[in-house]
Amino acid sequence: MKRRQFITTLAGAGVAGQLKLHPALGAEPAGDSGVSLPSPLGARAFRSVGSKVKITNMKVFGVSLTPDSDRPYVFVKLETNAGVVGWGEGTLEGKAGAVIECVNDFRDFIVGSDPMQVEHHWQSMYVHSFYRAGPVIGSAISGIDQAMWDIRGKLLDLPVYELLGGPVDPRGVRGYYHANARSREDLIRLRETAHEQGITCFKSGIPGYYEWIETHSKIKQAVEGMELLREGLGPDIDIGVDFHAKTSPTVASILVKEVEPLNLLFIEEPCPPENVKAMARIAARSTTPIATGERLVAAYSCRELVAMGVVDILQTDINHVGGITALWKVGAMAEASGISMAPHACEGPIGGLATVHVDAAMPNFLVQEICSGVQPAMKEKVWEEWLGFPAMRMVDGRFPLPEKPGLGFELSEESLKKYPFGGTRPMARVFHRDGSVAEW
Amino acid sequence: MPQALKSKRFTSLLQDRRARVSEQTQANRTDSYGAARSEKLKVSGIEHFPVKEPVSGRRYSVVKVLTEDGFVGFGEGGPATSREFAAAGELLIGLPATASEVARKRLAEIPSLKAAVNTALLDIVGRFSKAPIYQVLGGPTRFKARGMTPLIGESNESLIEALNVARNAGFRAFMVPLPTVAARNQGRAFVLAARKRLEQLREAGGEESDFVLDGAGVLSPGDASSLASEFERFHLLWFDEPCQLTNLSPIRKIAAETVTPIGFGRFVSNAGVFQDLLREQLIDILRPSLAGNGISEIRKMAALSETYYVAVAPHHDGGPIGTAAALHLAASLPNFFVQQIPRPAAEADRRMRAELAGVAAERVEDGYAILPTGPGLGISVNEEALKKYRDSGV
Repeated sequence: MKRRQFITTLAGAGVAGQLKLHPALGAEPAGDSGVSLPSPLGARAFRSVGSKVKITNMKVFGVSLTPDSDRPYVFVKLETNAGVVGWGEGTLEGKAGAVIECVNDFRDFIVGSDPMQVEHHWQSMYVHSFYRAGPVIGSAISGIDQAMWDIRGKLLDLPVYELLGGPVDPRGVRGYYHANARSREDLIRLRETAHEQGITCFKSGIPGYYEWIETHSKIKQAVEGMELLREGLGPDIDIGVDFHAKTSPTVASILVKEVEPLNLLFIEEPCPPENVKAMARIAARSTTPIATGERLVAAYSCRELVAMGVVDILQTDINHVGGITALWKVGAMAEASGISMAPHACEGPIGGLATVHVDAAMPNFLVQEICSGVQPAMKEKVWEEWLGFPAMRMVDGRFPLPEKPGLGFELSEESLKKYPFGGTRPMARVFHRDGSVAEW
Repeated sequence: MPQALKSKRFTSLLQDRRARVSEQTQANRTDSYGAARSEKLKVSGIEHFPVKEPVSGRRYSVVKVLTEDGFVGFGEGGPATSREFAAAGELLIGLPATASEVARKRLAEIPSLKAAVNTALLDIVGRFSKAPIYQVLGGPTRFKARGMTPLIGESNESLIEALNVARNAGFRAFMVPLPTVAARNQGRAFVLAARKRLEQLREAGGEESDFVLDGAGVLSPGDASSLASEFERFHLLWFDEPCQLTNLSPIRKIAAETVTPIGFGRFVSNAGVFQDLLREQLIDILRPSLAGNGISEIRKMAALSETYYVAVAPHHDGGPIGTAAALHLAASLPNFFVQQIPRPAAEADRRMRAELAGVAAERVEDGYAILPTGPGLGISVNEEALKKYRDSGV
């Protein structure tokens, strides 16, 4: 069946037409629909209130931009009997194969089900996974969730951010690139480019790997690196510094205090994510705002951080946290405690675009990451080749809002074939000088 | 450093940091909707219908929002003045009906209209999308919604009569008022009177009837604590507003002592208050007022309480348009438990509700309300009836 048959024209949808139900969204007819699809457990209960739309197939793609990529994209495509398809992303760095298998494990939950019921399916995938979700299950749910929202928006004829009550700022979503510059000269050049392009924020990391306790020279080097960032980028650009959980709470505490005068926008992951009290210890020692959350799955995992009032900014990633549904909930929870949202995005373009939709609807949204530089590289060119527009490139310091219904793009399976799955590759494995394992 | 000073420093540092970051968030930037990019669904006008039930005197307001492209949406909230209403109109004209987060921010200073406007905007979005509001929000998580109705009466006999009437109307869960509260700390006689009231009602209603005890925020913490402990083996659904929510210390005591579930929220209009109650495990069911918060706001409160494994049962003491909104909300929430649905004692009041939104809007069968299935709110609002029952006091 063609999409056109489901979507009635909106012309003249004024007073006379507006009480008619969308033909695809009406309850199921009593009889057999004629299509032979599995009926997932629990689905029949919703005959009186669900829609006629059913997911007819679920496909999952591993896509490696380079054969040795550590983060092959994991894309999920849901096909429906309404002629509408949805795309989502569940890329998990270093664990592509596991996520692909996990998406396939959810096949019985998804094929034959009603894609409009995204919250219901989210609950079922999470709760009925029994052990709850870590990053693998979280990323699989994320991919499926985004694809359902894409379908929902297309059927409801609105961009996802409008379904979520946005945009709060119709000019778009403020973003930042990574500052791939180390020398003073490079940083000054970057500042000039930023001013020309209207970019207002950058993020950078701290160099090297850190032991539990650090030497004077190592600490000095890290502090000087951050001072150089502020000097080079000037006083009017916001700077985030990613510690990437390389530092212990002990070392991070010293650093966050040293750099107070730099007025950084945030320091990210000053220690690993498992121990909220350790994070709190660091946060209590500095006026520098603390950001964390890219490795957390589901709103549940942010609860303690929010309840303890530890962090100022949450950075949950739409490809791991549980998609649009979960990222929106984290934002709602953070809002009640005055915490801002700056979601992480370092995977593919689908998750990037999906996160822009949620950002646009969050009043407590601060800034959106993309792991790109001011100059587009090979990755950004491929994204443009796939989607037909420069996805996740800022205009005037903001990511423009997609205007089409759903997530707002078309993608063909054919275009992905140029970048076949190169298999799972580990993320960086680094070691200290004595051979012991280091955080990267 | 003394502990007190340490925590003071921490608090002030935290506030300082939060302030710095929050200055840059979307909500605190200048609203840039001057020249909205979207040409569709722009709000072109608002009408206000204050209404009043003839016998009970229950008052609420209904808002009608119109768009330039001919869409209409209705929403209900608590009583509002015509001045508040005019101010809200000015704030909303030209805004796309989809931008409910912006409406929420603009109406922050007019809390009485937040809920009504939010529902009306979602009604418009649903009508545009040709789908029920719960489909816009994330799809149905349930196909029917448990209902609960407050019983009205002074004596136990009148409450039993009300119970029988409400049972015949399909309800299986009931909210019961306290015996008259004569003084603070009333002792054993009061506790026994409350117990007798609930036992008589259970006997009349049978095992499948369930009860919420309505403390209405009038008891002293001492009395609340005694009652909560007395009812532990009676298995109330919950004890609602056992005492005033002025600060957390008396509530800590009650919550720590009793396993009777505790509900709070009809006087709360800020998710931060729920955050405090949840953080300290002082609440078993969130009772945000539908009239004071609206669908979108309560969805955010529910997202918060979900992470504490705590359910939501919105407080509702308004009319049938509010009930319809509540059912869409209920359908959308994974952690919904029950919807309070007022059922006036007087036939004239019930007739008014049916005239406003149709008899189906508040239909309950075997304990569950039937979800609307039409676009938007899924009810047809009768404007003639809105005029007929106009609250002349506004």
